[in-house]
Amino acid sequence: MAGVVLKLEKVNAGYGKLQTLFDIDLEIPEGMITVIVGPNGAGKSTLLKTMFGLTTVYSGRVLFYGKDITRLPPHERAKLGMAFIFQLNNIFAELTVWENLKLAGHDLPQDVFRERVREVFKTFPRLRERLHQKAGTMSGGERQMLAMAIGIIRKPKIFLIDEPTAGLAPKLAREVLANVKRLNEQGYTVVLVEQNVKAGLEIGHKGVLVVNGRIAFDGPARELLAQKDLAKLYMGVV
Amino acid sequence: MNVNILMGTLVYGSVLALLSLGITLIYMTTKVFNFAHPRLSLFGAYLAITAMAAYITGKGIQPDLTVHEGIIPYRLAYPASVYIIGAVVAIVGGIIAAMVEYYLILKPLLDRGSDYLQLMIATLAYDFILMAVLFLYNTHVKIVSLLNKINVQSTSVDFSSYDLYIMKGYLTIPGDALYSTLIVLIITAAIYILLFKTTLGVKMRASIENPPLAEVLGINVRRIYALSWIISGATAGLAGFFIMMRPSVAGLKPISATSPADEIVVSAFAGSIVGGVNSIFGSLAGGMLIGFIEVYVTFFIGIATGLGAITKYSRVISMFAVGLFLLFAPQGLAGLYKKYLAPPPAAPELGEEEHEEGEG
Ligand SMILES: Nc1ncnc2c1ncn2[C@@H]1O[C@H](COP(=O)(O)OP(=O)(O)OP(=O)(O)O)[C@@H](O)[C@H]1O
Ligand SMILES: [Mg+2]
Repeated sequence: MAGVVLKLEKVNAGYGKLQTLFDIDLEIPEGMITVIVGPNGAGKSTLLKTMFGLTTVYSGRVLFYGKDITRLPPHERAKLGMAFIFQLNNIFAELTVWENLKLAGHDLPQDVFRERVREVFKTFPRLRERLHQKAGTMSGGERQMLAMAIGIIRKPKIFLIDEPTAGLAPKLAREVLANVKRLNEQGYTVVLVEQNVKAGLEIGHKGVLVVNGRIAFDGPARELLAQKDLAKLYMGVV
Repeated sequence: MNVNILMGTLVYGSVLALLSLGITLIYMTTKVFNFAHPRLSLFGAYLAITAMAAYITGKGIQPDLTVHEGIIPYRLAYPASVYIIGAVVAIVGGIIAAMVEYYLILKPLLDRGSDYLQLMIATLAYDFILMAVLFLYNTHVKIVSLLNKINVQSTSVDFSSYDLYIMKGYLTIPGDALYSTLIVLIITAAIYILLFKTTLGVKMRASIENPPLAEVLGINVRRIYALSWIISGATAGLAGFFIMMRPSVAGLKPISATSPADEIVVSAFAGSIVGGVNSIFGSLAGGMLIGFIEVYVTFFIGIATGLGAITKYSRVISMFAVGLFLLFAPQGLAGLYKKYLAPPPAAPELGEEEHEEGEG
């Protein structure tokens, strides 16, 4: 059996005094795509943020390869090899594309950084053309590429990706998901929150359904996709 | 043109530019208006006065009172070391006061998730605490007597031995005007280089624009914020050093625990707001502009209307300017610059989404 990258044990978490996640038990298996689905406001983004230490954890533990990281600040988790691509504001709009990349690789040795930038340009050649443009002036698709690129530069052990297809045209959305799949094929562990349940679960190995801040389903993605009561589950009327 | 008034404007404008810079920097990073900011500079000034007096007495340095070509009645010449010690101690004092504020008061509140209102009230509380500390200090060590020790003639720190005489003294640029303006220019250049030419600067701009994203890319945002507090404290201290040179300008009362911090706080915030609140370079320009309005413009309004007493209300006039800005250019000088002067951003090429590739 593959190892477990991230493990949440009986986690209760939220923002300040507002609890949004309740008794979360979850394992993220190594080398797989775990897809998290659920209705708007269910707590999917909060779940990813909790994995990265961006929320308040009231009780429970978060483990990274068995190491307790519950109290570790986000920048330390980044150094452990975690990457997060936000749902919104996932690039620095005021910085140039180059500065965005440089920032992402700020803790890498120069030669390693250069090598990684070359790799990123191979995957996203358009970024090279936009190098000295302010990132905020790029198109939606290009921004999403840059968001991916600043994750890839860090060669993390795990990618947390929050709704990368939100607001993109269907064709572009498919491409973005194909990119996520390719990331996984290159060996990266991925946790993906996706609003397009079908498209998301189709590329996923493991499926997780979050409803009202609780886990309503946790199992193979295929199984979740095949649930004939999925719509009902979704509404939280189990 | 009244050269003397203009020179006073330069000193006062520089002081405001330095203060506004600190206020803006803290607002951009920590998201709080630091009402204690001008008191930080007074804290620096107190330490500087003490250090300079101690140095002068300890070394037995005698001021060299000389007459200069009959133009200025006398000038007080100390070796440069006296002033350098004063400036350095003022900077260190400003940094200490800022660090105490950040680490002992604001950071614990931030860690507890306090909102901006609580933080703002906390800065007011810190202002009162600092004021009390300075009061206590003043009752034990008479700051005025220390100032008298430095300058036999008045309660300011004389800088006239560094005056620049141009055309045989026909035009005199006072040392404090010269150096305060120079320092503001140097600081502007230094901040530009820091922000736009160094990796640290990229990290700083990133942490300002999007703190959580910077954090997940492995940047210790709190550490970056601490750096902004250091810069803010240092520039506040420098401002305090220059306030000592010419406390009388813009109706500031001589150095004491309450004055001039209480008076200048309004003007310093005005500079930050007129600059655009979210622009570092705007704050420097805004501080200078408010200084210019309060001293120079007010002076000429006084002459034109025959109401010399209007200079007592110079701060009302700068508040009027703030009002105009908020009404007609709420983004301040930075916004005006972006709108009328900055080169337009490279337009994104549209309609290319369809032939997007993405594989290598
Ligand atoms: N920064 C925040 N501060 C306070 N409450 C928040 C914050 N972010 C989200 N919430 C609340 O937490 C709950 C869960 O939000 P979350 O963003 O995790 O939902 P989501 O499942 O990602 O929804 P969506 O599909 O719309 O992205 C919601 O009730 C939301 O209002
Ligand atoms: Mg979300």
